[in-house]
Amino acid sequence: MTRLKRFTAAVALAWCAVGVLAQNLQLPLKANSVRFLVIGDTGTGDAGQYETAAQIIKWRQKFPFTFAIMLGDNMYGAERPQDFVNKFERPYKPLLDDKVEFNAALGNHDDQNQIFYKPFNYGGKRYRTFKKGDVRFFALDSNYLDPEQLQWLEKELQSSGSDWKIAYFHHPLYSSAFHGPTIEVRNALEPLFQKYYVDVVFAGHEHLYERIYPQKGIYYFVEGGSAKLRENDIRKSAEIATGFDTDRSFMLVEISGDEMFFQTISRTGQTVDSGIVPRRKVRTDLQPGRAASPALRP
Amino acid sequence: MVRITVALVCLLSLPTPSVSTAFAQASTVSSQARPLQEFKKRIDAYRALHNKAVDQVGPLDPTKSPKQIADREQALGEAIRALRAGAKQGDVIAPQTGAILRTIIHNEYAHRGQLALRNRQDAQDELPDFTPAVNQVYPTAHPLATFPPLVLRQLPPLPKPLEYRFVQRSLILRDSEANLIVDVLPDAVPATSALPSGKPASK
Repeated sequence: MTRLKRFTAAVALAWCAVGVLAQNLQLPLKANSVRFLVIGDTGTGDAGQYETAAQIIKWRQKFPFTFAIMLGDNMYGAERPQDFVNKFERPYKPLLDDKVEFNAALGNHDDQNQIFYKPFNYGGKRYRTFKKGDVRFFALDSNYLDPEQLQWLEKELQSSGSDWKIAYFHHPLYSSAFHGPTIEVRNALEPLFQKYYVDVVFAGHEHLYERIYPQKGIYYFVEGGSAKLRENDIRKSAEIATGFDTDRSFMLVEISGDEMFFQTISRTGQTVDSGIVPRRKVRTDLQPGRAASPALRP
Repeated sequence: MVRITVALVCLLSLPTPSVSTAFAQASTVSSQARPLQEFKKRIDAYRALHNKAVDQVGPLDPTKSPKQIADREQALGEAIRALRAGAKQGDVIAPQTGAILRTIIHNEYAHRGQLALRNRQDAQDELPDFTPAVNQVYPTAHPLATFPPLVLRQLPPLPKPLEYRFVQRSLILRDSEANLIVDVLPDAVPATSALPSGKPASK
């Protein structure tokens, strides 16, 4: 074997190994962990949604999550009865059949009467909180942050004790993409998140994936590309740790003890990001207004 | 005597604009009180009408049937339209109230920076090009513009299921349960050319 052939073979082998690793589950599957799926901007009813849903279903065999959070725009365009079938019930049928619980937040494309649609688990409310293990979720309506909602949020955050605190809603507080950060929503929510030690925030609206460097101690993710896609839309920004904007994606998340493990996967099954987020109350490197050093692996 | 002189000097040295501003504010508050009370009365009347329509079509509990949700939204809208058959622009937002709301919104916009204004315009850009009208169903296949939280904080509160929304430059009152436009206030949002430019990002 010539040196060139040996080199080519080695490169090919390494490439295969990277490919296999990229398709491996990188979440620890710890006993009694809280496991969930994160999807955003899903309701297109097109091939992009169906192919991403098929990949989610495949990965659920490796990572049996029990519930999902939806980051809004659950339904684009018309919301006739057949649209609920084509844009939600059919693509995620195996998950629904398997009793995976979907917990949606309202996006700007969603009719507010979605709150009465039982499979979205709004319980008839625009915003709500629910608990899984020792994780407290806050599903907000960022389309209409009236004083009533903000007062409710403050009260709920105040009484949520030492649980993990995860907020999710549609409009990102930080993003480099097309719409950019929703500054007024940020100004309304961020002080509360900071005051009551929210750990992680998930948002959609931008049709791609972004992981933001911790801002004031809070980890932000944008996952608005689980069906819609705005290709090559990530802009240069000091706030963006990494992103993925060349295909659709979804996130798998596992929380165990003081660690949140995440893995972001593309429509074709490639891992595009993964890492560990420590619980905020155990992080010691946080000072007001100073970002934590990211405990993340690429 | 010396004390009196000092007090007089202090009083005279008070910046007169503060005094006149205080008087102006007091008079503005009293001139706004009546239209805002009237607005509340009209909102309450609409709410009573909404409840009457709900009595006709029945309440809605969470359901697995999207058809039930769509049918009920439509039925509620039709019942309200029938109860307000002659409704016209200004029935809920009377002209005097409209002037107050316009001032609040214009003042608020004048204090926002470029980034916030860009967000607001961006939300409008996603909307369909339509002229909102009283008793019109909000176009079901189109998004709703995110309502700026800072404006919301300054406007009179609305009871559920009423909400404020912007459609281009109009402020609409929308019944979110019936997806119906209840009233329209044109020119509520300042024209783009009237907005400040070059201001730093809003905080």
